[in-house]
Amino acid sequence: MTFDLSSLFILGLCYMAMLFFIALATDRGWIPQRITRHPVVYVLALGVFASVWSYYAATANAFRDGFGYLAPFIGISLAFLFSPLMLRPILEITKSYQLSSLADLLAFRYRSPAAGTITTLVLLIGVIPLLSLQIQAVANSVALLAPDTSQTTLAIVFCSLITLFAIFFGTGRGAGRERHEGLVMAIAFDSVVKLLALLALGVFAIYQGFGGFSGVDDWLQTQPELLANIKQPDAPGSFHVTALLFFTAAVASPHMFYMIFNENNDPKALTLASWALPLYFLLLSAPVLPILWAGLKVGSTAPLEFYPVSLGVDYGSEVMTLVGFLGGLSAASGLIIVITLALSNMCLNHLILPIYQPTARNDIYRWLLWKRRALITALIWIGFIFYFLPDDKLSIRAIGNVSYIASLQFLPSIIALLYWPRGNKKGFLTGLCVGVLIWFIFLMFPVLTGVNLLAVSDINTREIVAVSLATNVILFVAISLWTRTSAEERASADICALDTIRRRNRTGLVAKSPEEFIEKLTKPLGERTASREVLQALRDLKIDKQEKRPYALRLLRGRLEANLSGLLGPSIAHDLIDRFLPYTIESEAGTTDVYVIENRIEAYRSNLSGMAEDLDNLRRYHRQVLLELPLGVCSLGEQNQIVMWNNAMAKLTGISSQEVLGAQLNDIVEPWGTLIEGFTSGEAAHVHKRMLQVKNKRRYISLHKAIIEKSATHKIKQDGVVILLEDLTETELLEEELTHSERLASIGRLAAGVAHEIGNPITGIACLAQNIRDETSNDELRGMARQIIEQTDRTSRIVQSLVNFAHSGSNKADHNSEIVTVEECVNEAIALISLDKKRKEINYKVHCKAGLQILGDSQRLLQVMVNLINNANDASPSGSSITISSKLVSSSVQLSVTDEGSGIPEAIRDRIFDPFFTTKEPGEGTGLGLSLVYSIVENLNGHIDIISASSRKENPGTRVILTFPCYDGASLPAGEFSKAL
Amino acid sequence: MYITRSTLLLLMFSYLLFLISVDWVSQTDGAWYRPFIIGLLIILIAAFCHREQNSDDL
Repeated sequence: MTFDLSSLFILGLCYMAMLFFIALATDRGWIPQRITRHPVVYVLALGVFASVWSYYAATANAFRDGFGYLAPFIGISLAFLFSPLMLRPILEITKSYQLSSLADLLAFRYRSPAAGTITTLVLLIGVIPLLSLQIQAVANSVALLAPDTSQTTLAIVFCSLITLFAIFFGTGRGAGRERHEGLVMAIAFDSVVKLLALLALGVFAIYQGFGGFSGVDDWLQTQPELLANIKQPDAPGSFHVTALLFFTAAVASPHMFYMIFNENNDPKALTLASWALPLYFLLLSAPVLPILWAGLKVGSTAPLEFYPVSLGVDYGSEVMTLVGFLGGLSAASGLIIVITLALSNMCLNHLILPIYQPTARNDIYRWLLWKRRALITALIWIGFIFYFLPDDKLSIRAIGNVSYIASLQFLPSIIALLYWPRGNKKGFLTGLCVGVLIWFIFLMFPVLTGVNLLAVSDINTREIVAVSLATNVILFVAISLWTRTSAEERASADICALDTIRRRNRTGLVAKSPEEFIEKLTKPLGERTASREVLQALRDLKIDKQEKRPYALRLLRGRLEANLSGLLGPSIAHDLIDRFLPYTIESEAGTTDVYVIENRIEAYRSNLSGMAEDLDNLRRYHRQVLLELPLGVCSLGEQNQIVMWNNAMAKLTGISSQEVLGAQLNDIVEPWGTLIEGFTSGEAAHVHKRMLQVKNKRRYISLHKAIIEKSATHKIKQDGVVILLEDLTETELLEEELTHSERLASIGRLAAGVAHEIGNPITGIACLAQNIRDETSNDELRGMARQIIEQTDRTSRIVQSLVNFAHSGSNKADHNSEIVTVEECVNEAIALISLDKKRKEINYKVHCKAGLQILGDSQRLLQVMVNLINNANDASPSGSSITISSKLVSSSVQLSVTDEGSGIPEAIRDRIFDPFFTTKEPGEGTGLGLSLVYSIVENLNGHIDIISASSRKENPGTRVILTFPCYDGASLPAGEFSKAL
Repeated sequence: MYITRSTLLLLMFSYLLFLISVDWVSQTDGAWYRPFIIGLLIILIAAFCHREQNSDDL
């Protein structure tokens, strides 16, 4: 069975069109985001790793190595099954620092542009054969199905389509940092196609080739050699080396790094991939054996590698042939697209940008976009040339192995990156270079030249791998231990290492605001790019453009470096940020940053167990104690930066902790900044009752401080100051009030004494005046005597008021306790007031509920009512009404006097019960009326409330409400009752 | 270094299962798909172990 080129071409073209459509539909939003962003799509996209080695080479491997063909599947699966050990920490680093490739990661960790460049070169040399391998696999499968056609033509068409796809969907938006959802969706589709194709071929092989599972077993029993070969243990070490190669490839192959870390939109998707991707590889590897056996049984003449394609031909099924071809096409296309995207980023960041950078006048984004597109094109066509030029096409297995062995040389540096902070740049570069050299001389060189150096010496590939890796590790460790590590590199090592929380705590940025950041970065990047990057970083961090806190600016600087790292690579970004946004102060290495420690512990909290969990709980408890302490606590770190600001502090100052944490003292709003800063710099450890004016109100604050000295031991390197603020405002006001009351009481006692002393002479004067009035016939003299009598009467009333006030509350036992009918008392008060001939025309409205009674002294209650109604009279205009009402509320009698006067202004409302306080003209009031009322009401176990509507423009008025316990005969104590009767 | 208990458990389980199953898989009269059953078992255990890591924040 043969096919003509046009059918295969149309099929391939349709498939590629389908990929274009899926990518386009995703980018345009035609497919819902809940599908495109689903973690399963990410897992399937990771299936790109299963390229032609799993689709084609696996059958040949299974024939030669038996179950040894599973080694690559097991290797990559182990990397995912144990993702918390390697993949997850690297994901955290790459996400935080926007590292898009292994070269970026190593350049970042070892703080060396050379590390990035060498990594890129090694991966480039190692991966180009893999690219050509994909092209060759597609071309060979076409040649198998259509022997008369030109493989080269089809390879060119295939490469062209792949180039267009990679450019359109891999570099769509220019900045190079965003996820490419269209691309991921298309690659996921690729993975589904190749899995379904292989599963379909496996089922076809079992049922068409053997008539079912039992047929397979029956046939295998007739093939003892084959069966023994499958289950025979592989040559010692070969299985393990292959598994290790593919384990490393999870991070060290450019396409896997790109897919795992760059296109990850949620860390939880990696958790799913931890078991779902091994399951995918398991499903992919299972049909390989039935396909191989079915091909062997039918006596296929095709090379073993191409059994998935030739199976349909051998069994006369066109559909299965095309399914096999499509599966191979999907395996090859996905890998080429992703690998070129990943390599283009690496080449740009580590080969081109270190030599040539765009000027500030260029549109950097556009410049980078076109360079990336050019690189993608170049890489695909270099792969094509590598496939096209050699006359003697090498086997798929040889090329695959050579490629992956190169990536194995990165394993020591990747492990050291996470688990050995002492590893340094010199050790890494030396180990890598020597390991790669051994690999190149003994493995790559023979592939390129055909001169097999292995034939000269008696060693095999496996031993070369072991020797190169061992040399790499020994040199890496030895040189790292013997050479010094720069401070900058140590900082990066600390960031990457999982077992350390040391961070360099640096302060004092030259740029003091986001505007200055833009200004400083305009020089290298141009104004447009600088503004866009700074604003993007501000958006990422959710920081306001006006932010000036050093802590926030440090965060902004870090974010800018990370974002620029995604754009230009970590080396250039670091260099650029260091040059244009430098620190002015650099603290000693090893000092701790409390925020970083807390954030890390919070992030890893769910991982803590046992003693660590207990310690964390203890830390949280102590922290909570400090936060909830009813005293204001403020802790200062280096450069007077605020490290802690508890809830009481926030309540006291009105400044939330989010606003001030990380800020310096002088950034806090007044008067708090000056107060705390002055106290911190002063020598006194305690300051008592410092008065402050806060929003026109006086506040009294006591301050205490304690210095945290640097500990002599190495473990505690934090120093700073703890400040306690105690709000004594309420205490102070109470003290003032008490003093005022004492003063008033003294005046009262004095006044009572004076009144008593004045009473006698006044009485004498009044008697003498009466004598004169009665005994003289002189009218003028009599008039004068009457005036004297009036004035002495008035003086007597004032004196009597003073005496009453002085006695009120002092002698409760003297007061009568009788049943008083409220309505009668009110009516009597109105009758008494009506006797005053000088009173205004006031209409009294009485709404008293009949029969309401209280227990008390009727004369004193009468005095209360007279005073209140008199006050209402004085405040009311002529012709207005005064309403007196009483009602039963619950078990109390509520008596209210409401006028339509001017009300009581807000400013004096607190003072109206003060003795001698009056708003009346001098001589018209003593200022004792309401004080007396208050005192009497309190004595009668009542309560007084004043409601004033002085803020109302029309008819403001005042309502005085008195509340007394209602008299109820049943509840009256026996003694009281008899007394009342 | 923060390694979750579930990861350690998985590591230990996988290693023990590998040791136990080597002979079972390579028996000449055994079914050819035995390695896949072992693989599936490890994946199921891994799915169970990784389930609790969903609460981790990065």
